[in-house]
This record gives sequence, structure tokens and C-alpha cells, in this order.
Amino acid sequence: MELSNATFARTLIAAGMLLVLPDSAAIADDGLGLLKREVNELRKELAEVKAELKQQRKQAASKDEVSVVENKVARVERQHGDWKDTNSTLHVAGYADIGYADAQNSTGSFNQARFNPIFHFLYKDLLLLEAEAETGISSTGSTEFNLEYATMDLFLTDNITVFGGKFLSPMGYFRQNLHPSWINKFPSAPIGFGHDGAAPEAGVGAGVRGGFGVGARSQLNYALYIGNGPELASDGSELDGVKSGGFTRDADGKKVIGGRLGIVPIPHLEFGVSAGGGKTSVTKDEGSGTAIVGDAARDYTVLGADFAYQRKQLDLRGEYIQQRVGDASASVAPRGGTWKTWYVQAAYRLLPTKWEGVLRYGDFDSPHDVQDQQQWGVGMNYLFGPNLIAKLGYEFNQGQSGTVADDNRLLLQFSYGF
Amino acid sequence: MSNQKYFAARAALIAAALGAFSIGLPSAAAEKPSQKAQANAAEFARGARLWAENCNRCHNMRDPKDYRDEQWRPVIAHMRVRAGLSGDQAHAILRFLQESN
Repeated sequence: MELSNATFARTLIAAGMLLVLPDSAAIADDGLGLLKREVNELRKELAEVKAELKQQRKQAASKDEVSVVENKVARVERQHGDWKDTNSTLHVAGYADIGYADAQNSTGSFNQARFNPIFHFLYKDLLLLEAEAETGISSTGSTEFNLEYATMDLFLTDNITVFGGKFLSPMGYFRQNLHPSWINKFPSAPIGFGHDGAAPEAGVGAGVRGGFGVGARSQLNYALYIGNGPELASDGSELDGVKSGGFTRDADGKKVIGGRLGIVPIPHLEFGVSAGGGKTSVTKDEGSGTAIVGDAARDYTVLGADFAYQRKQLDLRGEYIQQRVGDASASVAPRGGTWKTWYVQAAYRLLPTKWEGVLRYGDFDSPHDVQDQQQWGVGMNYLFGPNLIAKLGYEFNQGQSGTVADDNRLLLQFSYGF
Repeated sequence: MSNQKYFAARAALIAAALGAFSIGLPSAAAEKPSQKAQANAAEFARGARLWAENCNRCHNMRDPKDYRDEQWRPVIAHMRVRAGLSGDQAHAILRFLQESN
């Protein structure tokens, strides 16, 4: 049952009067004098209320003052709305690090001061432009600059993203996902995963990538690309190494195709396989520094496999990757070779503290014995925050005697991912 | 009217008034969340789960408070590419982060 507003109001008034009025017996007993006292008290209270109201009116803002405040609020709301609702959004991320290294047979030095801003421009939910500008100081004091990548990602469908430009090599896992120093748990990259190692660094080309949810908790991810491919450096009549930093020319005229397929069968466990191939050629003699034009094209293949597993405080991962260059009898460096490397790494958070221990083993094998190296790495990190890390590491290196590959190193690094 | 009767009548009137008032209000116990609210809660929980399962595949978990709402948009677009997430998964994670910062 519902009462009308009028009926409800009348009921309330009646109830209120009954509550407020003294009962009839009391009135009869006290008489007119009591009523007079009550009236006087009420008059006094009314006077006080009037005085208070008058004071409030004096303190109240004028219409003009209210209007000024309203305008200010509207302007702030407009500005805040601009931040939230723009079609294009810019965000600057990246990382910076400083470091110290002390190797056997050399003097210790502060050897690292890098600043790597990463620019993200997002247009609606359609296009992401991302670019990393790697800047650092060389050993001679000059500033080094490298466009690590500049990629446009077009989100075509829920599962397909078309990308193009200069991109970190999708083959393998470390170079693409783990190389930023605030992510890498050791002060140095695993041997063979740095510049001019066994793992492809970057490519210039285009491709597709994306992911799928499979069932309730499994996932698949993929990346497939076509690009100009790497170039080779020679040293006299021998191959010196594979240059895979990304080129906007295609010296051999034949493209490289490659990709990676990742499988996440259960959360926190991932397996990946990578493969690619095409042609490449020698374009530079490292010994003399001269450019080589028109060298013979030769086969180029990449194979890799990786895994990662996280459980509670444990982070366990590893990767194998190799680049093989075929023989080419007409080349300035006819004999081909294989550059291959692998590593496994375990990191363990010592909760509830902010310390983290790291143990890593790696093995790099190249066609030149002088480059071969095995390495144990032991480290201890202190996490000021998830993206602010101090690292102490020691490398036990084993290489050809008398070379830097055989020198152990003490490393210190402080890294900030922003 | 005796005092006893007077108070009884006054109590009856008050009870009637209060009853009428309560009839006009919706019952809190009878109110149920809408289907939309339930769907939002489920999507939020899904985003939290995907965030916990995917972000530490590569790096330490970042605090949702690290960025403002509009900053998380390009960051998650970047992570969609890097981690090989579907758009649907990326949106769920984005929503969780934006509602948790």
C-alpha cells in the first residue's frame, strides 16, 4: 500500500504535533504562566536564529563570485577531459642505466651511462608508433646514438597486427623482450645475445603478429615477417661476423623471411620456436674498413628455441639460437659458418626482502675460436621498486687464453625503467 | 483522555507514519546488481587474472598506480604487441589497470 504525498504529509504533521505538544494534563496543572515562559523562550531562540541567518548572508558569496568559480571548474573539467579523450595519445617510456666494470687485465671504469627513451604514439586503438632512441657515451667520450627500433603497428583485428619499419627481431626472445636493463636480471646480456653476436638483433621490413586465447588458460602468440635481412663482415678472406642491426638497403637483392611461434600451455610457462631464412652477402671488410660491393649472395638461416617458467619467487628461462651462413665460392670470404649460443638463467626473489639472487650459464660458439666463450654469472640484485634495480654481478669467463673472452669481470649496474 | 490512551494513540500515529514512509522506499534487501554490473565485475576479475599471468612473463609486475588512465593506453598497446596478446585480452588488462590506479 502506498499513501499519496498529501496524505503522507498530513500524517507526518499530526505525528509531529503529538510529539511536540505537551499533554493536556500538564497544561491544566501549570496554567498560563508556563505557556508564557515557553513563548518567551521560543522568541529568544527565534531572535538567535535570525541573527545567525543574517551573519550567514553576510558571509555568502555573491553571484559574481560564484560565476568566477564556476568558470574555473569548467576550465579544469575541459582540460581534464582533453587528457582522457584525445584520439592521439603520447607516452614516453624507456630505461636508463649507469654501470661500473672491472675486468681482469684491465683497469676498472665506470663504463656505462645510457639513456634510452621509448616513444609511444597511439592513434585511437588503431595504430601504435613506437620508437626507441638508444643514446650512450662511448669509451672515448663521444655520444653514440642508435635508433634501436621505429615500428608502426596497425591493429587490424583482435588477433592480427600488421607491423612495419625497423623492429627488434621477432626471432628468439631475449633480444626482443628481455634486453632492456631494468628487465634483464643480470648486468650484462648473455654471451652471444649482444650486438654482433649469434642472435639476430633487428630487421627492416614488415610482417604480421598477434595472439589467441586457447581454452580457459592457454595462449598462442605468433610473429611472421619479411625483411631486407642481415649483412656480413669479412676479415680478409674469412667471415668476421653477421651484422643484424637492420638495414634499409638489400645488398643481395633477396629478402629474409622468419618468425616465432610461442605457446603458453598453462599460465607462467611458455615455449617458443623460431626459424627464418633467405640470402645475405658480405658488404664490409672489418680489417681494412672498406666497403665491398656486389659480393655473391649466399644462404642464411636462423633457428631458435626458448622457454620461460615462473613459479612464486622463481623465474627460470633459457634460449638457444643460431645463425648459419652458407658457403659462396665467388665471395671474398668463400667459407661459411655458424654462430650459435644458448643460456639458462634462474632468478629467485628472497621474500620478504627486496633482494634477488641470479645464476646464469651461457655458451657462445663461433667459426673463430678466439670468439668462443663459456660463462657462469652469479649476481645479487636489490629492487628499490619493480622498475628500479641495483645489480651486482660477477662473470666467470672461459675463452681462448690471453683474450678478453677469458677475463673474469665484476659488474655493477643501476637501472631505471620509466 | 488518560495519559495511557494519549501515548497509545500517539505511538499508533508514529508507527503509521513510519510504515507509510518505509512502504514508499525500495527495499535494500530486494535490490540486486544489474546484469551490466555483474558483467563489469567479471571483466574486471578477468583483467586482473590476465595481468597477473602475463606481465611477469618478461618483467617485474608494475603497480597500476605507476601511470594515469590515459598513459596506460599506449603502454598496454605496446605490451599487446610484445607479449602477443589478443586485443580482447589487452583491453581486459587495460580496464583492470585503469580501475585500480
